[in-house]
Amino acid sequence: MKKLAGLDELRDYRLSVTNDGSLEKPHIWVCGGTGCLAWGSADVLAAIQEEIASRKEAVTAGLRCESAGCHGQCERGPLVEITPQKWIYHKVRPSDAGKIIDYALRGDPAEPTADKNSFTSGQTKRVLSRMGRMSPRSIDGYMRLGGYEALERALREMTPEEVTAAVSASNLRGRGGGGFHAGTKWESCRKSQGGVKYVLVNGDEGDPGAFMDRSLMEGDPHSVLEGLIIGGYAVGAAEGYIYVRNEYPQAVANLTLAIDDARSFGLLGENILGTGFNFDIHICRGGGAFVCGESTALMASVEGRPGTPRVKYIRSTERGLWDAPTVLNNVETWANVPRIILNGPEWFKQVGTEGSPGTKIFALVGKVENTGLVEVPMGATLREVIFGIGGGIKKKRPFKAVQTGGPSGGCLPESALETGVDFDTLTEIGSMMGSGGMIVMDDRTCMVDVARYFTGFLEGESCGKCVPCREGLVKMRKILSDIASGKGRPGDVELLADASETLADTALCGLGQSAPNPVLSTIKHFRDEYDEHINEGFCRAGVCQGLFTAAISDACIGCGACLRACPANAVRGEAKRLHAVDARGCIGCGACLDKCPVNAIKAERRSAR
Amino acid sequence: MIDITINGKGLSVERGVTILEAAGELGVRIPTLCHHEGLPPEGSCRVCTVEIEQRGGKKLVASCMFPITGPIAVETESDRAVRARKFVIGLLLNRNPKAIAINELAKEYGVTPEERFASEPDLCIRCARCVRACEINGTNAIAPAGTGFGRFVSAPYGQEPESCVGCASCAEVCPTGKITYNDTDGARRIWEKTFDLVRCARCGAQYATKEQIARVGTGEEDARFCEKCRRAVFGERFKKS
Repeated sequence: MKKLAGLDELRDYRLSVTNDGSLEKPHIWVCGGTGCLAWGSADVLAAIQEEIASRKEAVTAGLRCESAGCHGQCERGPLVEITPQKWIYHKVRPSDAGKIIDYALRGDPAEPTADKNSFTSGQTKRVLSRMGRMSPRSIDGYMRLGGYEALERALREMTPEEVTAAVSASNLRGRGGGGFHAGTKWESCRKSQGGVKYVLVNGDEGDPGAFMDRSLMEGDPHSVLEGLIIGGYAVGAAEGYIYVRNEYPQAVANLTLAIDDARSFGLLGENILGTGFNFDIHICRGGGAFVCGESTALMASVEGRPGTPRVKYIRSTERGLWDAPTVLNNVETWANVPRIILNGPEWFKQVGTEGSPGTKIFALVGKVENTGLVEVPMGATLREVIFGIGGGIKKKRPFKAVQTGGPSGGCLPESALETGVDFDTLTEIGSMMGSGGMIVMDDRTCMVDVARYFTGFLEGESCGKCVPCREGLVKMRKILSDIASGKGRPGDVELLADASETLADTALCGLGQSAPNPVLSTIKHFRDEYDEHINEGFCRAGVCQGLFTAAISDACIGCGACLRACPANAVRGEAKRLHAVDARGCIGCGACLDKCPVNAIKAERRSAR
Repeated sequence: MIDITINGKGLSVERGVTILEAAGELGVRIPTLCHHEGLPPEGSCRVCTVEIEQRGGKKLVASCMFPITGPIAVETESDRAVRARKFVIGLLLNRNPKAIAINELAKEYGVTPEERFASEPDLCIRCARCVRACEINGTNAIAPAGTGFGRFVSAPYGQEPESCVGCASCAEVCPTGKITYNDTDGARRIWEKTFDLVRCARCGAQYATKEQIARVGTGEEDARFCEKCRRAVFGERFKKS
C-alpha cells in the first residue's frame, strides 16, 4: 500500500476504487460476524470460493465471494447476501454453494429481497448501512462505499471549530447510555487548557445480550476510526484510544488491521495528508470488568490502574485520561460522526425526534420472533420495534414486559408499548436508553426473578469501592432471593424500595446509581407479582421453584411431552387424551410448562399449605 | 472568594475548598470514615454525604471531595442527607458489628443492626485509608483486591509484600483497628513479614524498622537516635561548638 501524501491523492484513490466496476459485478458476501462464524460460516465461505474457482462461467463473470460484517440477524445464520441485488439468505449450508452461485449469476426465481422481510424493511439503516456488504478487513472496500470522504472534507474544508460546530448543530447525543450532547463535550474539551488532549472510544460493551458495538467494531471498524480521527482534529488531540473488551477477539483483530492499514495509507501518523495534523490511535484491551464501561473506571483502566471509578465532580473534558482534557464517546456515537460531517447536521436531524435526532441501534433479544440488531429512527415506538421488526412474541404467547437499557434498565409493561423510544421518554417512564439493549419478556417470565437476576448480576459486577453499591446490592439481592424462594416477609417490598431509592441517591458512580432500576421498575409496574410471592407463596409465571402447581387445560392435545418432562412423575394421561397433573405430586419445577407445544399448561396457586 | 451557606450560616471560602473543609471552619461537624486529613480523599464511604442546592437543583454529594466553585447552599442534616447516611451506617453495621467507629456512628444516628442481613463479622470497612497511606509514602505495598462484596486489602498475590518497609502507617490510619502489628524485642511483624527494629542509642526506644530508615535515607549517624533524641543530641553539640 502506498502512503497518500495529500488530500488530492486521497480523493483520487477513493474515486479509483469506487469506479473500478466492482460495485456492479456480482458479489457473494458470507457473514463473518461472531454469531455466523459460530454457525459455521467459515465452511460456507470456503465452499463457495472453491466452487467459484472450479466454475469457468463464474470466473469469467468476475464473481467474487468474500467474508463480510454482521447483518445483525445472528439467530438465522450463517447469512449470505448477494449484491448488487441485495438478496439475503438465511441458514446457508456449505452444500448450498452451487445454488447460491447460480442465483448470483442467473438470478433467483424467488428473489428473496429485503422488502419481504419485516426485520430488514422496518429498519432505517444509517450506521449499519455498510454491514454485510463490505469486507471489514479491506480499506478499499470501505472507501468504495464512501469511506474517508468525510475525513477528506473535514481536513480540506473545515476548521476544527467548524467540525465541532457541525457535531453540536446535529444535536448528536451519546449512544453509550448517558445521552450527553457530544458537541457540548467536544466544545468543552476543545476549549480546555492544556497541550495534551485525548479522544477515547468506549467499546466496553458489557450488557448481557447487547452486541451492537461488537458488530460495528467487527464489521465496519474504519467508520469508528474515521469518526475518531475527525474528533481528534476537532478537539486538538494527537492521540486516541479504543478501549475494547478482550472478549471480542475479532473486534480487536479487525480494529488492529484497520489501524495498520490507515497508518500505511497516511491517514494516521505524522502530518496526515500533508495538513500538518498529527494523530494516532492505540487499542487498549479491557480485562472483562463491566464497571469499566463507566467513563472514569475506563480511564483508570487505560492508565494501567484497577478499573474503579473516581468521584466525578470535575468533568473528563477538563481532567480525564492522565488528567488531560478528554472526550470519551461510545462506538456508535463515533460511527455517526463521519456521516454528519459528510451529509450535514440537517440531514442527521431528518430522522429521529427533536430532542434525540438520528437513529439508534438496539439489540433486540428475548422472547421475540426475530432477534438481532435493529437500527430505527429515535422515537420509533416499542410496539413498532417488538411487534413490527421483531415479529411479535415467540410461540404467540402474551407480551409481559420489555427491559431497555441493559441490566440496570427498567422493565416496562404493555401500557408503555406506544412510547416513542428516545433518551428523554425512556428516562421519564422509569427506564433508560442505556447502550440499546432490549430484552422482551413473555408471560412465562417472573418479574421478581428478573429483578433478582439483574440485581445479582450487578452485585457481581460492582467494583466494591463505595459502601452503598458494595453492601447495598447484597442486601437487596438477599431480600429478592427470599421473596423468590417463598421466604418473603410482609414489608419486604417497602424495604426493597427504600434500599433502592437510597442506593440510587448515594452511590459513587453510574453503575450503582442506576443499579436499582430493575427493582424499582418491577415494583412500580408489577407490584402484584411481589405481593403474590410474599402473601400467597405464588409465582404466576411458573418460574420460582415450588411456588406454584402446574395445571393442564382442555387445550391439551395429549402429546405426552409434559409427562416425559416431569421429574416427579406427577403427570397422568394416555396418548392423544387429555393429561392431568397430580397436584400432590407436583413439585412446581415448571419443566412441563416449558415443553408444552400448545401453551395448555398454566401455573396455579398451590392448595392450602 | 465564594459566598456559601452551610445549614443557613453564611461563609466566604476560596475556590476549590471542599464542603467538609468549609464546614470545619464554621465548626459544623460532618461525620466521616474514609476521610483522613493527611491523605488524598477517596469519597467511597459516603458517610459524609450532604445535600446541596446549586443553580436551582438539589443533590447529594460527598462533602469530603466536592470542591466549591460557585455559590451553594449546603444542608448537612437534611432529611435526604440523613437518610443516606443512616443507610450507609446500617450497611456497615451489618458487616462490621464489632468496629467501634461504626457502633459510635450507629448510636449517634439511632441505627440498629439487622440480623437478617448480617454477614461474617469483619473489622475492615474497605475505606482504603491504609492503601492511600502506603501510596503517598511511595511504598505501594498493599492495594485493594477483589471486586464487589469480595473486595479486600491485600499485599500482591496475598504474599509477603516485597516493598513493605514495616512503617505501620497503614495501621496508624486504620479507623477500625483491622490492621495490627506486633512489636517484640528487636522485631516487628506486620503483613506477615518480619522487620528488624532499631533501638535509639539514647533513650532505648525501638523507634523504626531498619528497612524504613533505609527507605527514608536517614544518615548513619542520625539513625542511631530516635527523632526526639536526635534533636536533643545534635542540639547539645550545636551549643558546645
